[in-house]
Amino acid sequence: MDYDAQLKLQSYLDGELPESEARDVANWLAQDREAVALFAELRNTRQACVGLEVGVTLPESREFFWSKIEREIDRQQQAEPAPRPSSIFAAWRRFLMPAGAVAALGMAAMIGLFSASQGPTHEMAVADPGAFTYHDFSAGTTLVWLSYPAENEFADNFE
Amino acid sequence: MTEKDHSSAEDQKLVRAAQKGDMAAFEELVARHRDKIYARALSMMRNEQEAIDLSQEAWVKGWQRLKQFQGEASFGTWMTRIVINLCLDQLRKQKRQRTESIEAMTEESGGVERHMPVLTVNPTAGLERQELRQRIERALNQLSYEHRTVLVLHEFEEMEYKQIAKTMDCSIGTVMSRLFYARRKLAALLVDLKKSD
Repeated sequence: MDYDAQLKLQSYLDGELPESEARDVANWLAQDREAVALFAELRNTRQACVGLEVGVTLPESREFFWSKIEREIDRQQQAEPAPRPSSIFAAWRRFLMPAGAVAALGMAAMIGLFSASQGPTHEMAVADPGAFTYHDFSAGTTLVWLSYPAENEFADNFE
Repeated sequence: MTEKDHSSAEDQKLVRAAQKGDMAAFEELVARHRDKIYARALSMMRNEQEAIDLSQEAWVKGWQRLKQFQGEASFGTWMTRIVINLCLDQLRKQKRQRTESIEAMTEESGGVERHMPVLTVNPTAGLERQELRQRIERALNQLSYEHRTVLVLHEFEEMEYKQIAKTMDCSIGTVMSRLFYARRKLAALLVDLKKSD
């Protein structure tokens, strides 16, 4: 008999098998003497344990046992940290902490906007109708675009 | 509630009173269920003093968690679950502190229970209740805590495989395997005890 079959026999004894499987095991038990022997051994062991705890009593009197429990409950209650009293300062702190965070965010946003308005990083200008100038201050570059055909003083100078 | 009221009140009424802080009601509940809680601790721990200490701890925990008790199970069942969990924690701690037992090594090395000869005679037949109890107690002492606990939860607590697996944080397959080993080992130990008499 393999191990799975042995465990199935035990499950049958314990009423843990679905009905269809239980029927199969019952049929199997009707034909297999080895299965019957193992089933009987498992059942005897189970029956030996029935009612084994009846009459087990705690070897301490009701009063003594309770006094220990009561003392421990009291001890644990005293050991718990008492809740801190609420004060105006604590209430203000509860208000100020999120308000401070919001104010800091607002400040950061204002600084960002202010620094952006300090001056452009680049400038584009049309000095005359035929020339377009682009200054990039950060890169120190100036580009001049001349329209074609040249109709301005630069173009005239090149000719 | 007066003391007289407490002794005649149903568990549910006492629980409700205790949940409101009535210590006398809780004391009555302790008095009613203390033997059962102690018996469960003793069957798992196999040591009288540890069983007393853990059942006391269970009652203290019970008081602290009383507000969480909704009455899905009976109060006795709820308290039993608390003591079982405390015993399991303690047994796991003890196991970590000592080397693996021979029992556990045997189980992991191939499962001798699969090959043990089937007993043709009932080793408990004809024994007086007291004698049978003593023999089973001695045999239970020789099982590893995992095997003993599965047996106790199944035979004494009448838990299903699924409940045992949840309580012991293992698979149903492990529960079946441990229960099978425990029963076969117990049967073999009972035969040995009978022979040695």
